[in-house]
Amino acid sequence: MSDRLVAACGEVVGSGTDPGALARVVSWSVRPRRSPDALRRAARDHPDDTVAAPSARLATLAGPPRDDDAGAALPLVRAWADAGVRVALVGDPGYPPRVAEGWPEVDAPAWLAWRGHPDWQAPAVAIVGARRASGYGTAVAAWLADAVARAGVRVVSGGALGIDAAAHRAALEQPGGTTVVLGCGHAVAYPRPHATPGRLFDRIVAHGGAVVSEALPHQPPRAGPVRARNRIVAALADVVVVVEGGARSGSLLTAGASAERGRTVLAVPGDVRATGSAAPHRLLAEGVAPCTGPDDLLAALAAVGVPRRHPDGDGTAGGAPPGVAAAPGPPSTLPPAARAVLARHWPRPVRLEDLAIEAALPIPTLLAATTRAAVAGEVVETVEGLRLRRAPAPGR
Amino acid sequence: MTAVAVVRSIALVGLEPHPVRVECTRASGLPGLRLVGLPDTAVREAGDRVRTAIQRAGLTWPQDRLVVNLAPADLPKVGTGFDLPLAVGLLAATGQVPVGSLAGLFAVGELGLDGRARPATGSLPAAAGARAHGARRLLVPSAAASEAALIDGLEVVPVDDLAETVAVLRGERPARRAAPAGVAPAGTGPDLAEVRGQPVARRAVELAAAGGHHLLLSGPPGCGKTMLAHRMRGLLPPLAVDEALEVAAIHSLAGERAPDQPLDLEPPLREPHHTASAAALVGGGSGIPRPGELSLAHRGILLLDELLETPRWVLDALRQPLERGSVVITRARARVVYPARVLLVAATNPCPCGHLGDPLRACACRPDRVERYRSRLSGPLLDRLDLQVDLRPVDRRHLLGPPDGEGTATVAARVLAARQLAAERWGRPALVATTPTARIRPTVRPAALRALADGLERLGRSARAFDRCLRVARTAADLAGSELVTTEHVEEALAYRLPSLEPAR
Repeated sequence: MSDRLVAACGEVVGSGTDPGALARVVSWSVRPRRSPDALRRAARDHPDDTVAAPSARLATLAGPPRDDDAGAALPLVRAWADAGVRVALVGDPGYPPRVAEGWPEVDAPAWLAWRGHPDWQAPAVAIVGARRASGYGTAVAAWLADAVARAGVRVVSGGALGIDAAAHRAALEQPGGTTVVLGCGHAVAYPRPHATPGRLFDRIVAHGGAVVSEALPHQPPRAGPVRARNRIVAALADVVVVVEGGARSGSLLTAGASAERGRTVLAVPGDVRATGSAAPHRLLAEGVAPCTGPDDLLAALAAVGVPRRHPDGDGTAGGAPPGVAAAPGPPSTLPPAARAVLARHWPRPVRLEDLAIEAALPIPTLLAATTRAAVAGEVVETVEGLRLRRAPAPGR
Repeated sequence: MTAVAVVRSIALVGLEPHPVRVECTRASGLPGLRLVGLPDTAVREAGDRVRTAIQRAGLTWPQDRLVVNLAPADLPKVGTGFDLPLAVGLLAATGQVPVGSLAGLFAVGELGLDGRARPATGSLPAAAGARAHGARRLLVPSAAASEAALIDGLEVVPVDDLAETVAVLRGERPARRAAPAGVAPAGTGPDLAEVRGQPVARRAVELAAAGGHHLLLSGPPGCGKTMLAHRMRGLLPPLAVDEALEVAAIHSLAGERAPDQPLDLEPPLREPHHTASAAALVGGGSGIPRPGELSLAHRGILLLDELLETPRWVLDALRQPLERGSVVITRARARVVYPARVLLVAATNPCPCGHLGDPLRACACRPDRVERYRSRLSGPLLDRLDLQVDLRPVDRRHLLGPPDGEGTATVAARVLAARQLAAERWGRPALVATTPTARIRPTVRPAALRALADGLERLGRSARAFDRCLRVARTAADLAGSELVTTEHVEEALAYRLPSLEPAR
């Protein structure tokens, strides 16, 4: 049984990971009430200088698998294989060094399982926020993600609806990948609209991005693990931006984990009355720097040593005012009056009814125009109304 | 052997009238009444009612064996409408009424123990059936007379009680003439101008009325979904008299119509509560199934509020009838077809709490619950809702200001013109919503077809929406008085959908 498990592990290991060690750690983890984190704590509490590599240390602590554990682990490893997942143990070459940093004292996952093309070395920005996001929040997240991706920096976020998805979607329009950190296993279709074949996660993988999880493939998205994944988001990023979140938001956990790991944290100011502003405002009160646009974010990146780079510009566009980067876009498909109203309200969405009144356009004409603009990708339709996809240039 | 007295009557199987011969004769044997020919309980009880009624009317109940056959004997008879023909037949068989007076006579009605005549349900379809089967005179209880008199070419004789019936048949008293119920003027409903704001939904309502498209209104509580739906009734062109008769016949059958009510030319509006059962919506019940809300809304509007609170299986039951325009209910004893060409207006909250997308009140729903709520909307029923509109709460300034939209009369005129344009094009009155897309395609500019296919793909919508958008675009073109569907019409049609929670891009 053990041999078959090791063979199956051989099909999923990332570069430099020993299938035998993976088989041991996974078998240890399948038993009830055991988490791979217990191995880390054991490694921390009983230092052993004779074994250098963290993965080897884990394997030693886990010990040879019992037959029934190996039997239980085998379908899990096969599920990984079926999903096209690679797995690396902590400290191995395939495992992101910035996550492994400080192990075993720092709570780094025993293994990471990923689908797609992770580029652990690339500079990265985490854009995190609530699932229940406002139109303002998703617009800002998309604005930041767009600027970050243009600067050749990877976007990291969770896989949830709302802010996370808005950031990933915007980043997908630029070359370079984005990284999703799941709160559940790879074989669990959650959240359904993203995990459905052909939808967001598949598009991210096809676009050079990666979907990462520290969980066994069938682990459901329970609150604990979903919150715990925030520390991976923080660990994978150089700078963390909190866009929107409630008073007890997971974004605050991400910010806390970021601070523990010494990552720079920024918070986007929001509407003072909106419940989604609680988390960023609390961070601002605690002394976190505000992020009022891509400039702040790119400056923070520069401050932590990420060189400013602009793939389709002169190398300075990252610091240019918002909208200049978007200026050489295609001509507008909207009637000028409607475009002006949307630009005035950006990043807040405008209801169609209000747009009709403010732009003084008859409904049939307006509906045709907004459809045309949505098809052309100039506007985004949200439940709160329409907004321009990209930040409008000032005065345009 | 005495003669057989025959009075004719009508048995309704659904809306379909079947002529029934009530054959009465005396036979030798012990005194009593024997009723044969598949009577149901109500018909079998007719014997007791008729016997008492005859005695109370001062007539003689013969001390003979009386045999009554309801022919054709294999057709199930239900209801109380056979009391009157049965009484008349027995009186004729016993020589108390001249047999000659029964020629060409149909009778439908219920008798009370005191001999008083009361209307049975379905007097109107029964009267129409009687005329279709060669009746010259129809005896009906006075209360149902004005309804039955709506049918042309039939002498409707109203009777108050059995005594009057006998007097009329004996020629002792002239038959009264029934006055038809008259026609109610259309256009007395609430006016569209009362709706404030909601310009997109207004336009959708206009398109729906013009093309007969099913409509979905999604929006928070109190944003005017029901108000709009109620005003939509006034936008539909008034019914022609034969259409109105068809509608009235269904209502008469369901007992939903007061017999002296004038004929309503305004299309019906039905709004069943969301707890209504599948049988209540599509029709059903024991014996011969009754028409449901779907048929009662025939040629009118069926408003389903709280669509997502309606159980799935109930909604599924609506699907096929909506497609066919009729309801077929098959039971062991009868197969009934009721017409059900309705314009479905469905209303729903955008999320369980109702405030998703509301700028004033934050939605309190967890995103996955919203997602699950929404997913119940998808599927085959949603595919039949051509127009989907997301409404928002009305701004206070609209509520305070003067009426900001057109009134019913203006919009109804455009709707009528659009329908006439469609009728001219296809050579007969036809709703765009029920026209095969193969007939619509030749009227669409090739560029518009390309724009539609392209738009559907780019907006991440299923190919099934293609036909739906094409039809809505055709209606938009009709409203604009345009013979050809242009790209602009198609683009407008593409806009009538709910914003997706997760954009395609």
